[in-house]
Parts: sequence; structure tokens; C-alpha cells
Amino acid sequence: MKVSLFVTCLNEIFYQDVAKDVVEVLERLGCEIDLPRGQTCCGQPAYNSGYRKDAITAAKQMITSFEDSEYIIAPSGSCTAMFKEYPGLFNEHKGWQERAQAVAEKTYEFTQFIVDVLGVEDVGAVYPAQATYHTSCHMLRLLKETEAPFKLLENVKGLELLPLENSYDCCGFGGTFAVKMVPISEQMVDEKVRNIEQSSADVLIAADSGCLMNIKGRMDRKGIPIDVKHIAQILNTLA
Amino acid sequence: MVKGTIHNKDLFLNQIASKLGRERKDNVSLPKWKHQSQWEVYKNSSKDDLLAAFCKNSKEKNVHVVETEKSMLPETIEKVIKEYGGGSIVTTKDDRFSQYGLTLTLDNSQTHIWDTAMGEVNIKKAKEAILGIFVSDISLAESGTIVQFNDKDIARSVSLLPTTYVAIVPKSSIVPRMTQATHKIHRSVIAGEELATCVNFISGPSNSADIEMDIVVGVHGPVKAVYLVVKDL
Amino acid sequence: MPMKIGEKPFFGRVDDALQDHFMRNAMASAQDRFRNKKLDATERDEQVGDWEEWRSAGEEIRRHTLENLDFYLDQLSENFSKRGGHVFFAKTVEEANRYIQKVAKEKDAKYVTKSKSMVTEEIGLNEALEEVGCHVYETDLAEYILQIDNKDRPSHIVVPSLHKNKEQIRDTFQAKAGYTGTEEPHELTAFARSQLREVFLKADIGITGCNFAIAESGTISLATNEGNANMVTTYPDTQITVMGMERLVPTWEELDVLINLLSRSAVGQKITTYVTNLTPGVEEDCVDAPKEFHLVILDAGRSNALGTEFQSALHCIRCAACVNVCPVYRHIGGHAYGSIYQGPIGAVLSPILGGYEEYGELPFASSLCAACTEACPVKIPIHELLIKHREKYVNHQENVKTSEKLAMKAFGVGTSTPFLFQIAVKGAPMFMKPLIKDGSISNGPGPMKPWTAIREFPAPGKDNFRSWFKEHQKGRQ
Repeated sequence: MKVSLFVTCLNEIFYQDVAKDVVEVLERLGCEIDLPRGQTCCGQPAYNSGYRKDAITAAKQMITSFEDSEYIIAPSGSCTAMFKEYPGLFNEHKGWQERAQAVAEKTYEFTQFIVDVLGVEDVGAVYPAQATYHTSCHMLRLLKETEAPFKLLENVKGLELLPLENSYDCCGFGGTFAVKMVPISEQMVDEKVRNIEQSSADVLIAADSGCLMNIKGRMDRKGIPIDVKHIAQILNTLA
Repeated sequence: MVKGTIHNKDLFLNQIASKLGRERKDNVSLPKWKHQSQWEVYKNSSKDDLLAAFCKNSKEKNVHVVETEKSMLPETIEKVIKEYGGGSIVTTKDDRFSQYGLTLTLDNSQTHIWDTAMGEVNIKKAKEAILGIFVSDISLAESGTIVQFNDKDIARSVSLLPTTYVAIVPKSSIVPRMTQATHKIHRSVIAGEELATCVNFISGPSNSADIEMDIVVGVHGPVKAVYLVVKDL
Repeated sequence: MPMKIGEKPFFGRVDDALQDHFMRNAMASAQDRFRNKKLDATERDEQVGDWEEWRSAGEEIRRHTLENLDFYLDQLSENFSKRGGHVFFAKTVEEANRYIQKVAKEKDAKYVTKSKSMVTEEIGLNEALEEVGCHVYETDLAEYILQIDNKDRPSHIVVPSLHKNKEQIRDTFQAKAGYTGTEEPHELTAFARSQLREVFLKADIGITGCNFAIAESGTISLATNEGNANMVTTYPDTQITVMGMERLVPTWEELDVLINLLSRSAVGQKITTYVTNLTPGVEEDCVDAPKEFHLVILDAGRSNALGTEFQSALHCIRCAACVNVCPVYRHIGGHAYGSIYQGPIGAVLSPILGGYEEYGELPFASSLCAACTEACPVKIPIHELLIKHREKYVNHQENVKTSEKLAMKAFGVGTSTPFLFQIAVKGAPMFMKPLIKDGSISNGPGPMKPWTAIREFPAPGKDNFRSWFKEHQKGRQ
């Protein structure tokens, strides 16, 4: 199966290991991956901050880069959700709207693609640890993907998934919210970190690098030694 | 009935229409709603099932539910009155009391039957009453709710001022939920019938959770509620 | 403006809120309790059926009503007056208050009882009535607590005193009302009952808000629990109801759906203890009902939303379900919003009613987690409306720092020019290298500064992913 990877800007700049793991997992499941050269960022930082025009610029770039793809896969619930917003950006440009719609329809979040399209729930990973999972808001509420990551993690050998109190609450990232509303964001991430600590997990797993960057950044600052992993890193760990 | 007044209507509504980008509308028909889950609740329930649901859901609202055969109603109501300490009682002025054979039970010096001719005295009596007794017109199984169509005789005060109210709930009055009651009212409005000035849906005693979200039963309205369910079917 | 709470700027209010540990605990525990109660009454209640269907029904009804608002308001006012009621359409807060003052003066009213109403908070009606010599009594327990505590302001649209604990309430009752009991909620409640009992009976005017007006019959519907609204609308000779112009339904059948959505979403009840539906026209010799009934229909900025992308904000039925799930509200509480309409819907409504100058920062006080949108019983896309506010706000040059505009411009250029984007990706490790210590950045400059004020910023990865991918692909062939 041919798939195009949207690596996402955070993974491209900060977390190349995550990107590599995504590639390797998908290849192991029989996908042939290409990396459209024109890809940059999904445009969400501008869109969510109210800079619609700048978001449209980014969206056009992404649509152009990905519209020939069969499947578009992003290892981020949030960036995937942004792709789904594209048609709404072009209410006054029917031509672009159709193109945006076509791109949105074939875009999947990484775990969603594995479970729903490839029909795989056990990728053969082994990861002996006690972990807890952060359900990122955009994956949960915009993509409404509540099951795929859990199905995959349940089948990881040795991995015990512990419940996370108030898991539905936002971690306080929210893109530019994290830098615009620092005192509020701080309280939100602190509550999230407290709940993670109380879960007594050694590893925090999520499918969105934005949330992980926020939570890890706060835990590192506070010297809390809990490991933080993108779900691709778990799924690419073999015996 | 003397017609009331309306001030500033056209200016106000014209502006709304203009904001909506069109002329004023003088006719709108209601669409057929696509989503109507309300009719599914207790849809195929028998009267017995509705009765059971009504009793269960009423108890959840802190109501003391007493079931009785129609023939036993006078005795049962006397028992209830005793249980709640006797004393003064206020009732609505309602022909149904005699139909239920309660005329004699309620005909005593302790009981005040609402009488508009007595003016403010009625309110004083209701305020002092231990029990307020009235009949539920429609009763909702889903939420343990009784419905009153208040007027000058079916006075609002009877269910409001006494410490405890006793609603006589005919089994025949029980419907699945608010939907059936509002549907009936809607039909009667369309038919041009006069609507009661107060249609009151009441579910149990008054309560509040305003202090630290702890439920306290008995605030400004009655502190206790009794439903006397009469098996008239 | 009566809608406004506090004088400090937004971040000052946030700082105050974050220091108030009791308030924050109260908010968090209230949210957790609300969540369970609501779930029990919605998704977990098998009897009620598919909750999503109910929400769609609510959305459908609200949309139709607002699209035909002029028609239904016309019908409402005609039916209300046909039964002898008096309707006053008020464009502004001042017009509404002046009309109600006039009625109070005509009635020579001394005592006014009120049931809970956010719209009368919005117009500052208590002060307006005091100006004309009335004693105004708030009778909803939460509003009563606030009123006797030096007119404290609401922090939640359904439970306005949510920010106070029972000990604080006990102390207030003792200091201001001669209370001698304990902090037990039932004792405090019994005290309020005894204090207000006579007041209810002697009041000259009773004032209520309006959950829904029913156009087909000219009826006002009130959803309450304490019985105070019934007292307020039964004993005074005059009743005045103030309603936001959007708060109506076409017929009793739609009332049914919306009452169900409201009761379950707001307080997790199948139905509130009282749903009291009042229509003018009492009989001459009726002893316990108001002789005169006035309805004030208020715009006060609501029409700013009509015909715009914000129209669906007027679908709101004030259940506070969005407030109850908002992680931002959880930490800063209600007063920090600076408006009587707080939380996510407050951040949408307040700028519509009060303008960006006063409330422009509120739409940014959201992480856009969309919990609000998910909770809304009439499916208002609340987080999307917050984004739309942001768009409007940043489009006014003066609102935004030039540096932010430039950064976003650069973002636009960078993301639309893959070549530049790659320069940024490749250059990041080099640019950031001097800042990195032990694998992350602790004290970043410029735009990184607010991030690193509380968190570590990650060091850019050492490799270039695209080069790796190219090599990797070659290896596979």
C-alpha cells in the first residue's frame, strides 16, 4: 500500500526519532512510504491564533504537496485534525475547497490508519513497562478517535497500561496558548503532571508531539523522572 | 380580558430582520423535526410499567410514595395525615375530591378548602398548614413529576406554602414523560382553548445544592412531598 | 457596565484567582461532581435514549428559532398582550432599567423579590431598583448568599456562589444577618428559608428571568429547584420578567426538548424540581397570582451576533455544561473572566455583548481543547467561535504586538516556501546550539521566553530526517 507521510514540523525539527519509528512501523506493516518534498507545517499555529490568511497560505502548500497521494498519514491527532479543517478555510474558493476536501478525506492519524485502514491491532511490539496514556484533545474530540491507540497498546507485550485520572482534561498545551497564557497553562500542565505521577507509571505515552513537548518540558523542569514516548516509539520496539 | 400593551415592537423586530438580511416574516411554519427521541422514551410501556417507573423515579426525588386502591383512598389519606402529624390542612377547590369519596374525610374544622371569597385568609391558612392536598392532572413516569393547571380554585399556594404537600396521583394520569403533557397543551393551544395562567411541573420537595453542591431538601417550597398513587385503572 | 466584574486587567484577575486556593479546589471538585452527575443523566441513562440525537434535536430547534426570531418574538408579544400582559422591547440596558423603574414607581413598590436571573445581573437591575427606593431581595440561595456578602458577583451561571465554601457562607450569615448556627448546609439553608419567608409574602413586585418563552401561547417558562421562583411569581401583585431576546421556543413541544437538555446538562437532573409556566390573565377574584404581568425583551448587544458567524452563540440555553468541563475555568474560576458570563460560552458571548476593548482577551483564554463543544447540548461549535473571535481581534492592528504579526507573516512565508522551511529546519540545531544545556533550553530568548519560563524547551534533533529518509530508501531498494 502506498502512503505519504506528513512528518509534522515538530517531529521534523525536534523529534526525528519519532518520525523514523513511524516510517519503520508502517514499512513493517507493508506500506510503501513517500515523503512529499513540499510539505512544511499544517498551518494550525496561525489558524488557532486568528491568522486565517497565513493559515490558508500554509494549507494551500500542503494541499498541493499531498493531493496526488493515496493516503496521507500524520503521527499527530492535532495536525490530522487541521487537515480536516482545510475545506472550511476555502468557503469562498470552490476550486480550492474541493481540493481541500479530497485531501482531508484521505488523511489519517498514524494509529487510526493502522487499526482502521490496515486492520492491524498487534504490530508485534514488546515494551515491558508500566505506562499511562494521554488522550490528546484534538485526537479525542476533533477526530473522535477514542480506540485505535488503546487497541494497539493493549497488544504490546509486557506493557501494562495504567489509568490516568481526569484523562479527558487538556494538558495545557493548546499551541500558542502555552506561551500566551503561561500562568493558566502552567496550572493545567501541573495538574496533568500530578495525575501522571499518581498513576505510578514509568512511561507516559501519547500520539501528539505537541502535548508531549509540553508535559515533558514541565516534568524536566520539575525534575520528575518519568519517561515520555510517542506511541510510534513504543510500537517500533521489538523483542 | 383587557388587552395589554406592546412597546417598541416594530422598530425592534425590523432591526432583527435587517440583521438577518431579509424582510420581516409574517408567516413561518414549523419544520418537521428530524430528531424526535422524546417519543421513544417508555414508548411501548404498559400502564403498569409506567406506574412502576413513576413510583421508582419519584422515590429517587425524595418523595414518599403511597399506593392505594381507589376504594381505600379515604382510609389511606387519613393514615397519611396522621403520619405527618395531623393538624391544619389546606386543599384546592376541586370536584375530584368528591369523586374520590374524600368529601367526608376532608370535611372537618382542621381542613381549609380554598375559597376565593375569603380572599387573603386563604394564603394565611396555606402558610399555617402542615399539609397541602391536591390532585395531579398529568403525571410523568420518567421523572416522578406531577402537573398542575393552576387557576383561582386550583390555587398555586396549596402545593407551595405548606410544609408537606400530598399529591393524589391517579394511575390513569401517568404518561411516559413531559412530551405527552406538552403535546396535549400544544394541541389545546392550537384549538384556541384558554391556557391556565400557571402550568406547574413539580417533582418532589423543593431543594438546593448551592452550598458546596450538597443537596439540601426543603428550601423555599415544601420540605416534604407525598404522592398518593390511586389505582383507578 | 453591570456585566463587568472587577476593575483589574485580565492577567491581574487571573493572578488573583490563582492565589485563591479554596476557590480553585471548589471549582475542581464541582467540575468532577458535575461531570458524573451529567454523565449519569445523559450518556449513561439508557432510558433517555441516544443523547446525541437529543443534542441534534436541540440544535435544530435553536437554529430554526433564531433564523425566524422576528416572527417568533412577534407571536410571543402578541399572545402575551392578548392575555393582558405588557410587553416592552428594550434595545439597551438603560431602556430596560428605565421601564422597570417606571413600573416600580407607578406601583409605589417598596419590596421586590427576585428569582435567579443572569440577564438582570447583566443589566444591573438591582441597582436601578434601589435608585428608585426599592428594597431588592435575591431569593435564590446562591444569589442570596452573594447579595448579603457585600453584593459579591456570580462566578457560575447556574450556581453563582460556587466560589464560596460553607465556612465562608456561615461567617457571612453571622456577620451580616445575625445567624448563630453552624456551617452545615441544611442549617444555612433553613436560615435563608426563615429569613425570606415573610419577604415573599409582603413583596410588591416579583422579578424573574426567563429560561424559555413560548411563542404560541405567550408563556414564560422557569426551571428551578428551590421553590423561590414560585414564591416570587405567586404573591406580589406585579410580576416583571426580563428575557434575553433569543430565549424563546416556538411551541410547547419544543419546550419539552429544551427543558430536557437544560435539566440534564446543567445539573444532571431528569427535570428540575419545578418547571413553572406562567401566562398572563389571572381571574379577577384569584387570590394568589399577580394581577399585572410585564415582559421586558432585551437586545443589549445580542443582535450584534445576528446574521454573522456568531449567530449560533445565541443558541445558548445557559446550562453551563461548557463551563463545567472547561480546564481553564477549572483553574481560574469565574471572576477572572471579568464578566458575569464566564467559561467558554462567556468568552464567546462577552465580546459580542461588551466589545473587544473590554473582553478581547477572553477568546485567547482557551487551549481550544473543544471540551466545551463536545458538552454543549445544542451543539454550538464554541471552540470554533473562539477562533473566529481571535480572527476578528487580530485583524485590528492596534490589538496585536507587531512582533506577533511579523512572526505570523514569517510563518506564512516559511510554510508556503518549502525551501525556506528547510533552511529553518536545518538551521534550528545551529541557531539553538548556544542555548542548549544538558539537552534542553532552560532560558530561551524572545518568543521562546514564555515557554521556558515554566518548562524546558527541547533541543532540536541532531539529524536531518529527510536525509535519513533518503538514505533509508536507498538501503531498501
